[in-house]
Amino acid sequence: MKENAVKLVIESLKEAGVNTIVTLPDSKFKELYPALASDPYFRYIPVTNEGEGVAIAAGVMLGGRGAVMLMENSGLRVAIENLSRLGHTHEIPVFMIMSYIGDIGEKNWWGITHGLNMVSLLQAMHIPYIIVRKNDEVKDAIVRAKRHTAVSKYHVAVVLSGEVTE
Amino acid sequence: MKRFDCLKSLVPILSDEIAVISLGGQIDEWYHLRPSPKNMYIKGMGAVIPFAFGLSVALPHRKIICSDTDGSLLLNMGILATLGNERPKNLIVMILDNECYETIAKHPTHTSKNVDFTEMAKGAGIKNAFTVKTVSEFMDRMKRALTLNELSFIVLKLEPGSQAFPEEERKRSDGIEDKYNFVRYLEDSEGITIFPREVKSIRKIETEHNWDNTKL
Repeated sequence: MKENAVKLVIESLKEAGVNTIVTLPDSKFKELYPALASDPYFRYIPVTNEGEGVAIAAGVMLGGRGAVMLMENSGLRVAIENLSRLGHTHEIPVFMIMSYIGDIGEKNWWGITHGLNMVSLLQAMHIPYIIVRKNDEVKDAIVRAKRHTAVSKYHVAVVLSGEVTE
Repeated sequence: MKRFDCLKSLVPILSDEIAVISLGGQIDEWYHLRPSPKNMYIKGMGAVIPFAFGLSVALPHRKIICSDTDGSLLLNMGILATLGNERPKNLIVMILDNECYETIAKHPTHTSKNVDFTEMAKGAGIKNAFTVKTVSEFMDRMKRALTLNELSFIVLKLEPGSQAFPEEERKRSDGIEDKYNFVRYLEDSEGITIFPREVKSIRKIETEHNWDNTKL
């Protein structure tokens, strides 16, 4: 990510009321992590897998703080069981921001299925998602998606790609 | 040591603590002993301790007790590493370890053989990790954990078995109702809004319109 995109995501998270970052690192966001971890506004919590991460984010959210699970889209495959338990059994929402490995134009052969699975899984779980490829759409998407999780009481995903993660 | 005896000893010394409760026979036992909106029941093996940790992050001034099981912890051992690094001061994790998946014909779990949760927790960086084998040992550790401003991890080695209750005394709420009971309690006791109220009017009308009923 370029410096301006990193700043934009951080500003958007603050405007959305997100002050807790739960994350498993992903290569597309590598410039974002040190910026989040060093910003005293955020509680930064690295986890061991995305299933654990979404359950932590759910607990933070239900305790009244704004949380996001920041992850690679392949992590959705790991997180689905807990997302179903939390989202369907309890209607406890999780706000997710994920990279779009496997978007049209992907350079790595192994990334293609990440993208295909992400779209299928989000749709199978009926999780609303916004794909953002332009920097000037980042803030609106993050703010609206965060609000939507609380109002719908269900998960919402913002998928970052294009110039945002270049 | 029986689970019900442990919970029966524990509940009278609880006050404002939030309890995050896992699956299985303990649900009805907790509900019978402590029917309270301070309890949140999480129906998701592997999600219980992470969820309780998340609550401890959001509510650092509240004591959170997580009552999980051996089968559930085995599904996500990674949480021990996260807890060992984060060391939330207001979290007590109890692992009710009966060494089996009791509701599934008591199929043995890995803790029935060589696995030692307490040693694993210590290796992950959780300093206050203990195994208890009697109710008295359990209560000593819990009383200390409740006053300590540090993460505690207590493994209760239990014999299988659940307390039976008449049908009308069993918990009847579902996962969504449990969530709302807990959320409304938190909103009231903490003075916070977790789920926003509906918006009265999306767009305000600039000028009042005077309706002429004769033309309708």
